[in-house]
Amino acid sequence: MSAPALHAAPRRRESTPLGRAVAKVFAVGLPWLLLGFLFLPVLVLVPVALTDREYLSLPEHGLSLQHFASLTEWETGWLPSMMTSLVIAAIATVVSVSAAAAYALGAWALTGWWPSLTRVMLLAPLIVPPIIYAVGIFKLWARFSMIDTYPGVIIVHVVLCLPFAILAIGASLAQLDPRLIQAARSLGARPPTVFYKVILPNVTPGIAAGAVFAFVTSWDEITVTLFITSRAVETLPRRIFTGIADSVDPALAAISAVLLAVTLLALAARTFWFDRSQSP
Amino acid sequence: MSFLVARDLRKTYGPVTALADIGLDVEEGEFVTLLGPSGSGKTTLLMAIAGFTRPDSGTISLAGRDITGVEPEDRDFGFVFQGYALFPHMSVADNIAFPLKVRKWDRARVDARVEEMLGTVGLADLARRKPRELSGGQQQRVAIARALAFHPKILLLDEPLSALDRTLRETMQRELKRLHRQTGVTFLYVTHDQEEAIAMSDRIAVFQKGRIVQVGAPRDLYYAPSTRFVAGFLGVNNLVDARLVRGADGAVEIEALGARVALPPGKVADLPEGPATVFMRPEDIALEPTPGEPALAIAGTVADVSFVGSFDLVVIEPRGGPEITAHLPADRTRALPVGAPITVFVRADAIGVVPNT
Ligand SMILES: Nc1ncnc2c1ncn2[C@@H]1O[C@H](COP(=O)(O)OP(=O)(O)OP(=O)(O)O)[C@@H](O)[C@H]1O
Ligand SMILES: [Mg+2]
Repeated sequence: MSAPALHAAPRRRESTPLGRAVAKVFAVGLPWLLLGFLFLPVLVLVPVALTDREYLSLPEHGLSLQHFASLTEWETGWLPSMMTSLVIAAIATVVSVSAAAAYALGAWALTGWWPSLTRVMLLAPLIVPPIIYAVGIFKLWARFSMIDTYPGVIIVHVVLCLPFAILAIGASLAQLDPRLIQAARSLGARPPTVFYKVILPNVTPGIAAGAVFAFVTSWDEITVTLFITSRAVETLPRRIFTGIADSVDPALAAISAVLLAVTLLALAARTFWFDRSQSP
Repeated sequence: MSFLVARDLRKTYGPVTALADIGLDVEEGEFVTLLGPSGSGKTTLLMAIAGFTRPDSGTISLAGRDITGVEPEDRDFGFVFQGYALFPHMSVADNIAFPLKVRKWDRARVDARVEEMLGTVGLADLARRKPRELSGGQQQRVAIARALAFHPKILLLDEPLSALDRTLRETMQRELKRLHRQTGVTFLYVTHDQEEAIAMSDRIAVFQKGRIVQVGAPRDLYYAPSTRFVAGFLGVNNLVDARLVRGADGAVEIEALGARVALPPGKVADLPEGPATVFMRPEDIALEPTPGEPALAIAGTVADVSFVGSFDLVVIEPRGGPEITAHLPADRTRALPVGAPITVFVRADAIGVVPNT
């Protein structure tokens, strides 16, 4: 073989058969391993939820929807806590997404050192371990008598949702060319028109994605919520947590299956709206 | 009074003076180009005229009215940005309709105008496409159509062709000239490409470090640059340090590259005796003197010969100075090996003299 041909061969393609086999094991094996450990426990919930017996178990004589039915009875407590979670998640989503949108737009329009500094501050909830935050906020809320109140939980959820909303909206703003605003103005558009006709349509996918992220974050938040609630505010994850500690009611599996369905729906909606509008 | 007038414009960014005492007059319907190297303040002036940059001092007026404090959206100036800045969520037609809808034109009038503009820039088939489905040249046309649709008082263009390849750029240059003639709109055009400026403009304003150093028709700038910078920036020029010597009878002689020649009377009326800069165009350098005309005879050696088509590009190393380039007929250069001695001649009336700074 001539020397130039040797040099021309790209390095990365020169893998040995053994190297390729190892790479294949990891590239193919790891996802399956993850699938096994993540989805098997999740999927096993479905048959358990359909059990015909009175305790957490696989179905014996046949499938039954009785545990799903029990979820819809007000006295069992699942519906009220679902409502609680829904209300808290909805309010936390609206508040955090509005705040995140206002902040992201402001930081985008301005230049200088403060947007990058404040961004780090607002993304801090992603870095601070929830358990540490939980202990701290418990002390604080105890002092202000905010333990086990709706405002107390909502404020905490807003803080935890903010980074996700900011990241999603910031990502779509980062793709927005600042010269579009100048272009719109040079064409005669005043600020409201610039905002509604140019900026908003271009960040709507980001806002929608941020809302989905924020909703899901609040909807299944448990660590901090556990510390700052007891009986007055019982979110769904909290109800499940207490439920699993002191009962073997298959309704637990049923509610988990419902949660799974809701999460999958949210993810599907996100993929449909956001990813589709981002690709050419 | 001129149509667009800028007076004593100043703009500084911290220690950087982006604009220093800019004065510029543009007549209605003119095609004026702002030409200068990177960072010389062209965009800053264009942004100030568009209203996006507030000058520290000075005034801008249009048709006799002071518009220095008017917001960009109230100026009615079209602006074509370097990256086109088309609205990605709107179709081509909606992009062009945007300024018309903002002005509350009625539906039928908007549709008619959009159609007319699409025809003008030759994009009638692509009305429903999104900008990302267009090529660079097509996007450029949309941006121009959008900026012209609402009958702007002036069209400002900031290096609109710099992202296009060479052939497309030449096509678009012709297209822009046609649009200028066809619409009669005043064009203010920014570029750092001197060939583009020369090919397109009625007049060129040459920028250097935040100042306009010379304004004039392309021909005037090409043949009579007023400073060494302008002489070097327009066209390929040999710039050489020289000495100006004035005789008692008003005769002027120039001393450069170890040679000396008398200049035609009146050529350098306002230059003092002493150091000056001489420029010679490569096409004015010849292997023989023109009979009966005084010429500067430059002796040196051949440093390089390269074939470029209709002539050969010869680099000459004179005995007393820096290298100069000459365009010499190809059939004569075969006898010119690198290192051979050579003497070339420049007619006295083809020699330009500018101050040293
Ligand atoms: N917003 C700004 N902040 C700080 N400095 C700026 C700003 N805008 C321009 N400048 C400076 O002002 C000077 C002139 O810039 P300008 O953009 O007008 O140059 P230009 O002639 O358009 O150059 P180019 O050909 O590279 O576009 C430069 O030194 C630039 O760094
Ligand atoms: Mg510029």
